Amino acid sequence: MTGRAMLRVALVIFVVLMVQQSVMVALRIGGAHPDLLWLLPITAALLDGPETGAIVGFWAGLAFDLVLPTPFGLSALVGCLLGFVTGSLTAAMDPRAAWLKPVAAVAGSVGADMLFAVLGAILGQQQMVQIDFLAVCLVVGISSVVLVLPVNRLMRWALAGEGNRRSLVSAESSSRNW
Amino acid sequence: MARSRRSRRTLTVIVLVVLSLSLISLDLNGRTHSLTSGVKSVANDVYAPLRQGVLDIINPIGDFFAGAFNYGSVQAQNEQLQKTIGDLRAAQAERGFEQSQLRQLMALENLPFLQSLPTVTAQTIDEYSSNFTATITLDKGRADGVDVGYPVVGAGGLVGQVIQSFHHSSVVRLVTDGQSKVGVTFGNQLTGIVDGQGPSSSMTADLVPPHTVLHKGEVMFTSSLDAAAFPAGIPVASVRSFHTPAGASQESIEVDPKADLGQLAYVDVVQWVPQP
Repeated sequence: MTGRAMLRVALVIFVVLMVQQSVMVALRIGGAHPDLLWLLPITAALLDGPETGAIVGFWAGLAFDLVLPTPFGLSALVGCLLGFVTGSLTAAMDPRAAWLKPVAAVAGSVGADMLFAVLGAILGQQQMVQIDFLAVCLVVGISSVVLVLPVNRLMRWALAGEGNRRSLVSAESSSRNW
Repeated sequence: MARSRRSRRTLTVIVLVVLSLSLISLDLNGRTHSLTSGVKSVANDVYAPLRQGVLDIINPIGDFFAGAFNYGSVQAQNEQLQKTIGDLRAAQAERGFEQSQLRQLMALENLPFLQSLPTVTAQTIDEYSSNFTATITLDKGRADGVDVGYPVVGAGGLVGQVIQSFHHSSVVRLVTDGQSKVGVTFGNQLTGIVDGQGPSSSMTADLVPPHTVLHKGEVMFTSSLDAAAFPAGIPVASVRSFHTPAGASQESIEVDPKADLGQLAYVDVVQWVPQP
């Protein structure tokens, strides 16, 4: 990643953090609210591969860890793994496929939430598995499908000029969609 | 070429995972926790005003639409609140004598009386910031006299306990959180522990002997046992249902929080620390 891309990614993380903590937390349905954090590594991985996905996931998680009451570093760990796994699993897929982003958003977000809760419980935070998983998975899954496109657009802007083939192909096809 | 790229990618991920695990262990280690807590404190001091600025822009828009669509119910709610305030004023006047007697008795027993303890009134600026914890964030922190361990009361009872305190904000674990445990007393000198089971599940009262006589709506108060985490006499929960399963070593009791956790715009932080 170039220095300019890093600055833009930092700005996108900050904007998403603000939207999450001021708007999304107020949209509680069945005791759960949408979670934008996981969409950052997912979209970064889809646009620029597993390495960028892992790096964006780590820094985005770390930024969220600063304001969440959960153990410091836990979101960074899950974000990093999520970015890497998403990028690796979709590496051989056609980035222009219309179904790829929504499917990756649902599977990635729900999987990341599960991993987050289980790792939290292993680290002694038993309350993290004492939640209504069905409500959390439904709310996070559905909202991720809706919100993955705007987050993807932000991430595409942040990673523009990286020269990555996947990024360029995706940008071209997405610009047609938008 | 592709191989070296793959090994660089793997190395990057390994470094990031190790870094994350190091941060987690720093945070969970009692000796180095203050380091991560300090970083969080500084970040919160920077972040809180920025977030408040965003809310100051968004909230009036939301309030405008909410007010326009719910004007009738807001007016009815206002009238109901005025009536409640009147009833409470009357009740407060009647209880003056009882409270005076209670204060004297508590002083004789060297027990803290809640209304004699100093409090800091705080506004809730954030609720349930994570899907995995039942917490609220207050607009008062260490600089305002709010510290870790202080009980938080409001909306009719015990709300929770301060678990993180930053310069100008603090995080409160609600009584419904899975990590919350409160020692209680009720009935005829009976004791138990009220356990939070997560925000979407009922709270339970544990360590109550089987076949204990209870009644629905019975209120449980914080106990004053040695090293209790809360001052005595704060309403914690009321009994919703109870039964003793065959062969059980304790009664199975479901309770509801006494505080209305849906109305936490303002709360009182009690400046009280457990007595050793």
